[in-house]
Amino acid sequence: MSEASIDHEDLSEATRRVILSGRLDMLGSEAITLKLASLTAAASRRVILDLREVTFLASIGIRDIIGNAKAVERRGGKLVLLVGDNDQVAKTLEATGISTIVPTYTTEREALDSAVA
Amino acid sequence: MNVDAQCFLGELSIRGDAKEVRRSSLWLEEICQGRGVPADQTMRLSLCLNEALANVISHGGPTALDAPIHLQLSLEEAGERGRVAVLSIVDAGAPFDPEVRGPTHAPSSLMEAEPGGLGLRMIRTFSDELLYQRDGDRNRLTIIVRWSQSE
Repeated sequence: MSEASIDHEDLSEATRRVILSGRLDMLGSEAITLKLASLTAAASRRVILDLREVTFLASIGIRDIIGNAKAVERRGGKLVLLVGDNDQVAKTLEATGISTIVPTYTTEREALDSAVA
Repeated sequence: MNVDAQCFLGELSIRGDAKEVRRSSLWLEEICQGRGVPADQTMRLSLCLNEALANVISHGGPTALDAPIHLQLSLEEAGERGRVAVLSIVDAGAPFDPEVRGPTHAPSSLMEAEPGGLGLRMIRTFSDELLYQRDGDRNRLTIIVRWSQSE
């Protein structure tokens, strides 16, 4: 069983890749939600939320994504999603309509180009 | 000659909290893996289970949390027609009929996106059929997922 975890990598002064992994169910979301908010909190931050290692994405995890995407946008930044070849996460985002309102990409290059555009 | 067989795979009683929801997901996933259910079909079932339980906890009221939630899983082998998994969830919460809730629409923009309705949208998308019954003071939600042998 993969526990939820969160990490980050600063790609530039303004651009941060936040890496989520494991199960984002109620328990998993509890474990990462505060850290996710703090990692995306800087004003005008460009965020690539990397979901490639997420093994289970429940609606509570999606609510975290939406909440943070909104907050980043209100601060003048932009949050995009990187799903790679994680078909299950991609299907879940598509089923909920999230992939049409939060830019979602399969490659790092596309995600980065969109985040800084 | 094809022989249809329904196989009762197991049942589980859980409390209505986050740890127990995780336990139920792992229970279901382990059973499905042991029965050769394809990973993507297992994920459909697991997501539906998770979202249904999340709704019970969030909207069922105190009676939902005071009594155990009963889960049952069965698998029907239908020969060349494929397989059908039937997941039953019985809780003691306030009546909650997913059909009565009406359609849940995907948001048209990020700022319009609301937290409500996501779970129900996921259940409706990932299941093939939903059956709801109120039995006395219990909700019974039956989630049906079908797939062909080639999936």
